[in-house]
Amino acid sequence: MAQPYPYTYYSCDCYDAKTTAGAAKRASAQLQAEDEDERTFDPRNPRSNFSLYPLEHLLYCEDCQQIRCPRCVIEEVLNWFCPSCLFEVPSSLVKSDGNRCTRNCYNCPICTSPMTVSSLDDPTNPSESGGPWILACPYCHWSTAETGIEFEKHTGITQQLSKVANGGKPIPTPKEREKERERRKELENRKSRDILSGSEDSPTQDQRRGDASPNLDDIYLNLAAFYKTQLVAQAPSNLFSPHDINFSSPSSYSRIMNLYSSTTSKKQRQKKAAPMREAALELEGLMIHDPSSDAAAIERIKKEGWGSTLSPAQKRAQPNPNIRFDTELRPVASLLMTKRGKRCRSCRHILSKPESKITSTRYKIKLLALQHIPRLSLRALTPTPPPGAPAATPFDYNALRSGIPAHFILHVSNPIFDPIRVTLATSSTTPGKVASRVTILCPQFEVGANTDVWDDALSSSLTPVKRASMLGPDGMPQIEAGKIWDRGRNWTSVVIEVVPGFLKDPLKKEDEELGEDEDVLEIPVFVRLEFESDVSAEDRGLGDSLGKKGERERREEAFWTVIGVGKIAPM
Amino acid sequence: MSRPAARKVAPKGEYIETDSGNKVSRRSYITGTANITLGGRTVIQADVHLRGDLHPTRSQPSSSGKEVAPTSISIGRCTVISTRSTIKPPSRISRGAVHYYPMKIGDNVFVGPQCTISAISISSHVHIGANTIIQPFAIIKENVKVLPNSVIPANMVIPSGSVVGGRPARIVGEVGEGWGVAGGGGGVGGGGLGVGGGGMESWVEGGDLRELVRSIK
Ligand SMILES: [Zn+2]
Ligand SMILES: [Zn+2]
Ligand SMILES: [Zn+2]
Ligand SMILES: [Zn+2]
Repeated sequence: MAQPYPYTYYSCDCYDAKTTAGAAKRASAQLQAEDEDERTFDPRNPRSNFSLYPLEHLLYCEDCQQIRCPRCVIEEVLNWFCPSCLFEVPSSLVKSDGNRCTRNCYNCPICTSPMTVSSLDDPTNPSESGGPWILACPYCHWSTAETGIEFEKHTGITQQLSKVANGGKPIPTPKEREKERERRKELENRKSRDILSGSEDSPTQDQRRGDASPNLDDIYLNLAAFYKTQLVAQAPSNLFSPHDINFSSPSSYSRIMNLYSSTTSKKQRQKKAAPMREAALELEGLMIHDPSSDAAAIERIKKEGWGSTLSPAQKRAQPNPNIRFDTELRPVASLLMTKRGKRCRSCRHILSKPESKITSTRYKIKLLALQHIPRLSLRALTPTPPPGAPAATPFDYNALRSGIPAHFILHVSNPIFDPIRVTLATSSTTPGKVASRVTILCPQFEVGANTDVWDDALSSSLTPVKRASMLGPDGMPQIEAGKIWDRGRNWTSVVIEVVPGFLKDPLKKEDEELGEDEDVLEIPVFVRLEFESDVSAEDRGLGDSLGKKGERERREEAFWTVIGVGKIAPM
Repeated sequence: MSRPAARKVAPKGEYIETDSGNKVSRRSYITGTANITLGGRTVIQADVHLRGDLHPTRSQPSSSGKEVAPTSISIGRCTVISTRSTIKPPSRISRGAVHYYPMKIGDNVFVGPQCTISAISISSHVHIGANTIIQPFAIIKENVKVLPNSVIPANMVIPSGSVVGGRPARIVGEVGEGWGVAGGGGGVGGGGLGVGGGGMESWVEGGDLRELVRSIK
């Protein structure tokens, strides 16, 4: 995802903190902070990828007084719904029918775009029903007509689709399959009897009906039926006996069968049984590799080229991921989505809980990090053009110039209702191959408390730092080290000086290949906050919850952030 | 505020401001003005095409029985349509004739530069990145982020809270609980507008765009 520069990511240290229940207490958090002062957070560390988040994605546990990221929350599914028709699917249906929409929602197997039911009706000679109908992709124009599937009605697509194979042949229902299996078993038995009796006169019709190789459903049903008969024949011993863990033991089979069948078979008590044999025939569910199918596939690729084969992503989305050619594609039923609540992983308090109604976008509970920790944002400090002159060209964050100092304003805004004291720290050069020099000109400052906007409008006591009068000769405002840049009601900004590094070391002769994103200038910044806040009722304890109102406690919070400044332009 | 009076003496600015605070660029191309409604404090930037002339042809009798101009584009409050974007109501061909359907865009919607929008409805607090194409009859629910350079296929429904991107667009993530929450204000907008130069614009993607609208002059 191309993230526009500049950006700020916040690091959640839950991976290192090992979120055990007690570990989140303040004392240990402080220890941890001291620990972390020792080493610089490296945004290029592969592990960092999994701990950096935009502020909007972080929650905050008020009990643990810590940031909570997607890795340190527990999710609870409130409900399932189809993203396409927006109908809620009851959890019982999800369990029985799977996590796909069973209405008319299908995605294109070629491009994933949602498909629409379209009529093939000839306008000059309209049919009564308006049909036949097909599923068609409005984006790439693939349609089920290409695989020979048409529908009689424009509703109940799932039912209709389950009855028709590619090419328009009907798919037998499970009952019909059962009958067919019985018939073939009978045939097979007769054949073996014939062989035993020595009569060679039966050129048995072993051709499969409908000559297509059996699909996965058939094989599964055959195997299931085979195991069932085996189980009946040599009824299992004690179902979960520990000494009986053996692949060919009846109890293992029955356990597996119980896992995969929705109807739980009754446990049967039996004595010890001999190991069962494996499936040996196709109608027992054995899948026999047919070399001729490989040859046919190769022939087909020779004739039709790679164009007729499927990409890995397309295969993966299919109900049968083992298919090879576009003629075998089936429309993909839409995957359901969930609405989820989130809890803190260490103290189990609810951090976010949306209203369960699908159409509602409101939350019953939502504890956001951005309401508890300051937002840091960066922007380039561009010279203000003299009045009348055309506006300066916007700063190009995608082309930072190596070796030339650039100034940026780091804006820190405070969401909490107490003033905070902020200490920023960063190493003087950025980690990674391209070392850029970074100086925070004023690493320690205060940020005012968040108040209602109206207070801000009414109070004029805050004297804004006047910059306009202090322009340097080049139109660039003058920057003083150790002084904040500007300040408002609940925000303060400071200047950061950055000297972007060189993509190629001018001293080294050999051309070292730069890895991906090595030219991205990211500054790890350690942020430490100190503030006084009202002691929360829980910390005070129940004993003195009456008196001592307004008692204040000193609090401290610390975390790493990574500020993506931009891309260094090649020289 | 005595803004209207001040505007009269001011030199011709980029925007014409309506009574309800809509800012419409003098360099925008608006056809069928009678069929377009703007909710107030909405910005139409330069080189934006609003195709209000493509309105439903089937007569809609109003409650009073009078003939009223059919609405083809209705845009809510504090919505920003950035430069070079085209808003064109979706159409369907039936019995040999083209029929246009009215399009609705909600409040606090940001449409990035150079987009082509033919959705049937876009709900509030939606952020659409630059160079995006939304094909006819797509429905975008609330709090959705569309990544730049996406193509949203016709008829696609995007559930609220999604991040979509790609060609064709698919759901690639969720916007997160903090979507659109400014959090004490003072954040820098992530939008690619580059507006303002003085103070920090306090608006966030998917949030209240009032500050952004105010900063556009
Ligand atoms: Zn975490
Ligand atoms: Zn559906
Ligand atoms: Zn397609
Ligand atoms: Zn907690």
